[in-house]
Amino acid sequence: MPDFNVTDLFVSLTSRIGLNYEFLSTGYEAQIWRDGFATTLFLIVLLIPVSLVFGLVFAACLTSGRLWLSVPVRAFVEVTRNTPTLVQLMFSFLVLNTFVSSLVGGVQNNPLSPFFWVVAVVGLHIAALHAEAIRAGIEAVPASTVEAARGIGFSPLQILRYVEVPLAFRASLPAIVNNLINLVKLTTVGNAIAVSEITYASIMVWTQRDNVVSLMIVILLFFSLINFVVARLGLWVERRLAVPGYGL
Amino acid sequence: MRTQIQQPRTGSRILRNGAFVALPLVVLLSAVADPTLGRELLQWVPYLASGFMMNVVIALSAMTLGTVIGALFGMLSLAPFRLVRYPVAAYVQLFRNAPHLVLIFATTYIFPFEIVIYGTYLPFPDWVKAVIGLAIPASAYVAEITRGAILSIPTTQWEAAKGLGFSHGQALRWIILPQCLRRSLPPWMNVLASITMGTALASLVGVHELLHAATDASTAVRRLDFTIIAYLVVMAAFFTLCYPISRLTRRMEGRFHAA
Repeated sequence: MPDFNVTDLFVSLTSRIGLNYEFLSTGYEAQIWRDGFATTLFLIVLLIPVSLVFGLVFAACLTSGRLWLSVPVRAFVEVTRNTPTLVQLMFSFLVLNTFVSSLVGGVQNNPLSPFFWVVAVVGLHIAALHAEAIRAGIEAVPASTVEAARGIGFSPLQILRYVEVPLAFRASLPAIVNNLINLVKLTTVGNAIAVSEITYASIMVWTQRDNVVSLMIVILLFFSLINFVVARLGLWVERRLAVPGYGL
Repeated sequence: MRTQIQQPRTGSRILRNGAFVALPLVVLLSAVADPTLGRELLQWVPYLASGFMMNVVIALSAMTLGTVIGALFGMLSLAPFRLVRYPVAAYVQLFRNAPHLVLIFATTYIFPFEIVIYGTYLPFPDWVKAVIGLAIPASAYVAEITRGAILSIPTTQWEAAKGLGFSHGQALRWIILPQCLRRSLPPWMNVLASITMGTALASLVGVHELLHAATDASTAVRRLDFTIIAYLVVMAAFFTLCYPISRLTRRMEGRFHAA
């Protein structure tokens, strides 16, 4: 069993510098911790497309020029940007979730899990931030370009799809990557409603083992690594999409 | 075409100024509409207000501490010695990418609940730990802002200062930093808003702040409509604190771009 030996070696080496990772060689706690990492990664992978899709929809509403579309979305964006995500999550989970429960007749019939609410709240929160970035990008598209597209007979939706969004997306990519890094950090609020992501799993471990510092080091490195990867991917996409001579 | 552009602008202006009062108005109207609810809310308002004071205190202390350390680290990250530069860069990278909640957990669970100084036991309350937990990311952001602001000043300014006989430190103090201050104010205010909203996370480690107070209140009253109102009050409180900051930031950014 070479795998077992590696864990043991790691535990004994780290204990020599005063860190306590003994739980890794027990089955149950190590499993909880691994699941915590997996849940956080799953949340991130799920939330990135969700936030981008809704961000695009919100940005389209904001720039549509129709008040009945832009005013509600603008109000939503402002409320989301200026209130803590944790408060939104608690509000959604305690109030909206109760409404849903009473609608479907009892908590046992409620299909919405805490996991769903984390995805919904964090996803829409980041979508609101994306929407602001993309809106700024759409407004930065030169009016002459839009007029030219209208001149060749593009409909407003086609202009959005083929002219404005491709250019706006490139312009707003740095801001979007910044929001995605915020998204990674925000997944930890799931802790408040018992979604077993990494911080929740770690609390389970350190209440038993009293090894906060050891776990903290790994968690901090974990988030640093994820955000490094996200930033690198963003840079890569930015380079891949760059339009030569357009300056973006 | 022109009227088409003008119309949404006036609409959004009404909306922007209306946003200041919209949430408190909803709270007020529902309190008036149902007097029993209003009375219940009135009873809990002092408790909620004391919680919100804690949020303000935590946010301001964390920002003060974070700004001082961050500005120092920002300058150190441009120091000509690798031995200084690399650890500072590592600090900034590690804590800028760390979730606020994780840092609040770290400070809460790692620090002892009291400290011994010359035999006297000083309590180390949870809210102070939350202040430190939020000051760490704040300092990392501010360090990055300071570094960016210093780098954005053209090198010719340094050279001109040197030509006038300023030492490196004097040039930094009298010529570079005053210019940096103006440039870094909008991003600094973004950090302020973000840290202010981060204070709500302190409720998860048991600090008596607004969200914690609202949860207390709603579990004590046990009415769904009161729970809704309590959380709306929380949202309204944070909104009235953060919305002016973000409005002001955007206006300053706009003016900066125009200049």
